Amino acid sequence: MNYQAPVRTTLLEVRDLRTEFQTPSGTVTAVDGVSFSVERGERVAVVGESGSGKSAMAMSILRLLAWPGRLAAGEVRLDGRDIARLSEGQLNAVRGRLVGTVFQDPMSSLDPVMRISKQMIEPIMRNLKLNRQEARDEAVKWLGKVGIPEPERRIEAFPFEMSGGMRQRVMIAMALSCQPRLVIADEPTTALDVTIQAQIVEVLKNLTAEAGAAMLFITHDLGLVARFAHKVAVMYAGRIVEFGRVEDIFARPAHPYTQSLLGTIPSTEMLKSERLPQIPGLPPDMRKPIVGCAFRERCGAAHDRCAVEPPVLSERGPDHSAACWTDKGLTDSISLKPKSSARTNKPFEPDGSVVVELNALWKQFNVSRKTTVRAVNGVNLRVHKGETLGIVGESGCGKSTVARLLLGLEKPTSGDIFISGLAQMVFQDPSASFNPKMRIGDIVAEPLVVKSRGAKLERDEAVRRLIGQVGLDASFIERYPHQLSGGQRQRVAVARALALNPSVVVADEPTSALDVSVRAQIINLLADLKHDLGISFVFISHDLLTVRYISDRIAVMYLGEVVEYGAAEEVFADPRHPYTKALIDAVPVPDPVIESRRSSVPLEGELPSPLNLPRGCAFASRCPIATDLCRAEKPTLPTHELSRQVACHYAV
Amino acid sequence: MADITLAPPTTTRKTGFKDFFAAIGRHRGLRHPKIRLALLILVPILVLTALAPVLPIQKPLETNLRAMMQVPSIEHPFGTDKMGRDILSRTLAGVQISLVVGFSVAMIALMSGMVLGTLAGFYGGMIDRAVMTVVDIFLAFPSLLLAIGLVSVMGTGLVPVILAISLADVPRFIRLQRSQVLSLRSRAFIDAARTINAPQSWLMTRHIVPNTIAPMLVAGSIAAANAILIEASLSFLGLGIMPPQPSLGNIVRDGQTYLEQAWWISTLPGVVILLIAVGLHFLSDGVRELLDPRSRQ
Repeated sequence: MNYQAPVRTTLLEVRDLRTEFQTPSGTVTAVDGVSFSVERGERVAVVGESGSGKSAMAMSILRLLAWPGRLAAGEVRLDGRDIARLSEGQLNAVRGRLVGTVFQDPMSSLDPVMRISKQMIEPIMRNLKLNRQEARDEAVKWLGKVGIPEPERRIEAFPFEMSGGMRQRVMIAMALSCQPRLVIADEPTTALDVTIQAQIVEVLKNLTAEAGAAMLFITHDLGLVARFAHKVAVMYAGRIVEFGRVEDIFARPAHPYTQSLLGTIPSTEMLKSERLPQIPGLPPDMRKPIVGCAFRERCGAAHDRCAVEPPVLSERGPDHSAACWTDKGLTDSISLKPKSSARTNKPFEPDGSVVVELNALWKQFNVSRKTTVRAVNGVNLRVHKGETLGIVGESGCGKSTVARLLLGLEKPTSGDIFISGLAQMVFQDPSASFNPKMRIGDIVAEPLVVKSRGAKLERDEAVRRLIGQVGLDASFIERYPHQLSGGQRQRVAVARALALNPSVVVADEPTSALDVSVRAQIINLLADLKHDLGISFVFISHDLLTVRYISDRIAVMYLGEVVEYGAAEEVFADPRHPYTKALIDAVPVPDPVIESRRSSVPLEGELPSPLNLPRGCAFASRCPIATDLCRAEKPTLPTHELSRQVACHYAV
Repeated sequence: MADITLAPPTTTRKTGFKDFFAAIGRHRGLRHPKIRLALLILVPILVLTALAPVLPIQKPLETNLRAMMQVPSIEHPFGTDKMGRDILSRTLAGVQISLVVGFSVAMIALMSGMVLGTLAGFYGGMIDRAVMTVVDIFLAFPSLLLAIGLVSVMGTGLVPVILAISLADVPRFIRLQRSQVLSLRSRAFIDAARTINAPQSWLMTRHIVPNTIAPMLVAGSIAAANAILIEASLSFLGLGIMPPQPSLGNIVRDGQTYLEQAWWISTLPGVVILLIAVGLHFLSDGVRELLDPRSRQ
């Protein structure tokens, strides 16, 4: 790792921070005694799942907690000053001037009715004591640095005139323009596509290094941590459970939670016949008091002491500490692998019959009389029986439209869809895909009722069988969706999709709304069903590691076209289309050693508007090897029969 | 698999009457302060109204020329009017009319708003445009003015009054229902039902309408309160329930001439109108807060 130890002066010191939320059902201690420090120029990543208190912790540092949150105890020393004791007026001088912030959602963190210039120039004038013209020059300079084209012109734009990636760049420019000592970034790239994420991360990394600013980077993505951070703090249930240098955390994790998290990410070497290691259970309910170690119920190494005494952070090596009573956490003897890590029963044998066939599929949406969005432009795809087809691509590439066409939710403008049997769907957001007024049993039975399959008793029997098949017990039948966790809801969605014995299940981002520790459970479930029942899957995701693990074949889409198609392993090992290469390069791998070796030249630019597509190759505007030929003539995908297809004039 | 949390089997579906009433007693609705206040105001009025025929008071239309314009006393708690009729008895009869009007208007407006709003929101296109054009025209008039206009066409009396007020209220309900349907229509669970080829009637009755009922009920209780006020206003203006049939509005109108000599004739029924309106508003406010997902845990 290119980590040069900076001059060891502490910039931020947090001691025994406690943050509480007053809720009608009692006090929730979101942050429970967190202590750590950040050196000057250091990038510290805070990793944790939703509810782990990572955002509440970051907000507490700036005292930006909204009601009913409250900084209950602790000390936050920034540059030697205790933030907790400053007046609101003094704090305002700290916020912006000493600490810059970048939030997750670039859509809502900029004022929609103010031009960028107005939002940027005034803070610069105030903080750096410049006059309006100087401040404006400074703002333009920063917009240029974060990669906004034509910054002199774009500074007069309104936020709605910019894409999500551009707005996030503006946020970064705003955060850095007052030359802060510390930048707090709360999931700054979560809402963005991988290629844009790679660009943003690079910008943040270079600019903070250039300005000598330290950074507190909050994320749930371990890959990003490996790419980005010097140090890592792993949070669970409001506490830091492990803290150390990024190399140590990834190479020698000491806390069972860290070890489990690292284990649940599908690695590039993993065999498909192996199940993903998964963390059993759910994070604890923070409304109830936690006795002992909060992780003990999900921990393979838990023993008596864990139930009584909460472990404290203890030294595990230079600059490395973990809060666990065991020395090494999970060892091989108590591994987190499921009991049957390899699937033992005989796998379903594909017989080569085609279940889904899309022929020259086109879909256009008429936005108004004059403008047409061309969402899908001539897609040919086949899915064989028992096969999983992964569709990857950035948002706006048409992958979800293909799914909706396949399910008959949209009618194609032209082209044929052939499905042998029935297509069913598992949706992205498990909180929206169920009718909140229906019980789980009714939700699962609905397809049977609508198709009037079986009598009431037979349907009840079928529901019990389906619920069991996805690993839930019969008590769920009587519950309502809001009483279930995200992972449980996604299981119910799978059970419902299976009710009519479909030949193909379309899963549109089925794991993207789930926490890391639950994600592996759902991926294992889908892989098991495919293995046991021989159902074909169309798996749509932007999470390339998951797609690689679960898919047999992969179709890479760009602007409504398939640009590369082939066996999953081959496409990943040897991407031939420059876009596929760029996508795979953009995905951060949870290994700091690999990350430090990778070239850091992310794909430039953004997806062109699907309102007017280029005449030649759609990717030419961002392609590093594009020539005049590409811009003039469109490369087409060879016919179906090839096992590997690439739409590029220069594919090797 | 792993994220199973065993829960005791739920048995709430099969319970006796005892449990049922105990459950009502424990219901968080009854613990809500605004609903409590509303019930504290409304329940005594309702009970008195229901008991009016058996209470030891004069019948509402009975006159007593020996006891005209009496100050409130034990015998005549609200006093009497210029014809010696008992104001309390007349007020309770008026309340009865008010409640019939409020309830009928709320039901009519709710039902027709639900049907038309659902159809307009779900199908869109021509149906939507036709319904919404009429709605927009109706909404351009204040509801009291509209009701006066309609009554003057349809005539006076209980049924015309109910119809006139309902007609003036329906457009608001259509609007509300349509906006709810529009936002529900694009939810993922509608798509999920469409992937199993569920018929449109199924989508509307099973998925859309059940999710629109709570806000419509809240709107319904507000409409009931407003309908009571409008009926009182119409009767006060001499356009609603005609004397000698008592209604809160025409009792107040009767007493208006004698405000200086006999304040009780107008004032006490007026206070009752106020109490009913306040009670219903607290009730709808409480129900709204109760149904608001943000107030749930």
